[in-house]
Amino acid sequence: MSLACQIEGKFPFFTTLGGGGLKGGLHTTGAKWFMIESQRHSYHLVDPSPWPISGSLGALATTVGGVMYMHSFQGGATLLSLGLIFILYTMLVWWRDVLRESTLEGHHTKAVQLGPRYGSILFIVSEVMFLFAFFWASSHSSLAPTVEIGGIWPPKGIGVLDPWEIPFLNTPILPSSGAAVTWAHHAILAKKEKRAVLALVATVSLALVSTGFQGMEYYQAPSNISDSIYGSTFFLATGFHGFHVIIGTLFLIICGIRQYLGHLTKEHHVGFEAAAWYWHFVDVVRLFPFVSIYWWGGI
Amino acid sequence: MAASMARSGLRSASLLLRGGAKGRAGAPTKRSFSASAHDDAYETAKWEKITYAGIVTCTTLAIYNLSKGHHHGEEPPAYPYLHIRNKEFPWGPNSLFEKKHHADH
Repeated sequence: MSLACQIEGKFPFFTTLGGGGLKGGLHTTGAKWFMIESQRHSYHLVDPSPWPISGSLGALATTVGGVMYMHSFQGGATLLSLGLIFILYTMLVWWRDVLRESTLEGHHTKAVQLGPRYGSILFIVSEVMFLFAFFWASSHSSLAPTVEIGGIWPPKGIGVLDPWEIPFLNTPILPSSGAAVTWAHHAILAKKEKRAVLALVATVSLALVSTGFQGMEYYQAPSNISDSIYGSTFFLATGFHGFHVIIGTLFLIICGIRQYLGHLTKEHHVGFEAAAWYWHFVDVVRLFPFVSIYWWGGI
Repeated sequence: MAASMARSGLRSASLLLRGGAKGRAGAPTKRSFSASAHDDAYETAKWEKITYAGIVTCTTLAIYNLSKGHHHGEEPPAYPYLHIRNKEFPWGPNSLFEKKHHADH
C-alpha cells in the first residue's frame, strides 16, 4: 500500500481537496504527497499549541483574583497567586517550545526571524509610549504646581533625595552595562564564545548592582508613593523604570545561559539582539528620570 | 519546471531589492550590518576596554558617594496631601516602604 493510499484512508479530506479519485487528484500520489511534506517555502507553519489558551486563562484568574484581593474578598489572594503561577508556567513552556523550534527543529529561517525582529521593535516602541506617559504626568504636575501642594515643586513639606548622591551614582552604571552588552554582541560576531559569556556576566552584574542601588535609594527616600502628587509621579516613573531594568536583566540572563549552551551563532542570534535592543532602551531611558525627575524636579 | 524557474527568479529579484549585494546568486550570505571577522575582533577588544573603563568609573564614584554619608531631613508637618490613606492596604496599614519612616529614622 502506498503512502498516499494510507493517507487517503486516514484523512479522507485530502481526497476531497485533491478533486477525488486515485488519478489526477492533487494529493493522490506518493510523489505529490512528498511535495507537501518537504517544505518548499521558508515560513514556519506552527503546530497547534495549548499555551495561548492557558495564558489567557492565567490572565483571567490574575485579573479577577487581583480585583478580589484588592477589595479584601475571601480567596482573592489564592486566585491571584494561582493566576500568576499559571502565567509564569505558560511563559516558561511557551518560550521553551520556541527555543526548541529554533535550535532543534531549525524552523527559524531568515524569513521567520523577521517576525520576532519587527515584534521586538514594535514592543519597544510601545514601551517608549508607556514610559512617556509617566514623564508627561510628572511634567504636568511639576511645571504648574497647584495651590493644594503649596504652589511649588517639590510640594511643601516633601523631603527629596539629593540627585548627586545615589541617583547620580546609579546613572552611569546602566550605560556601562550597555557597553558590556555591545562587547558581548561583537564577541558573538567574532565567534569568541567564551568572551561573549564573560561580557554577558559583566552586563548582568552591572544590572544587578543598579537594581541594588535603586532598592537602597527607595529605602532611604524621605517620601513614599502616598505622599502627594510628587510621591505618585516619582515612584510610578522610577519604579516602572526599575521594573523594566529587572525584566531586561532576566532577558540577558537567559541570553547568557543560551550563549553558554551554544545556542547563539554569528549568523543567528535574534533573541540576543532583541535583549540588546531592549537593554539599550532601558539604559537610555534612565537618563530622562535622572535629568527631569531627580535633578530638575528635585531641586 | 517553468514555474520553479520563475519562482527562483522572483526570489533572487526580491533578495536583490531587499539586501543589495547579498542577493547575488552564489554569493555567501552575509548579514547586512555586520563587519568582517577581523573588525569584529577589533570591536570586541574596544568594547571590552570601554566596559572596564565604565566599571572603574562607577566603582570610584560609588566609593566616593557612599563614603560621604547622607543627610536625614526632619519629619514634615502633617499636610493633608502627605501620607494619604483612603483605605487600608490588603496587608495592613503601612505601604511597602513605610516602616523606616516612623521607626529608626
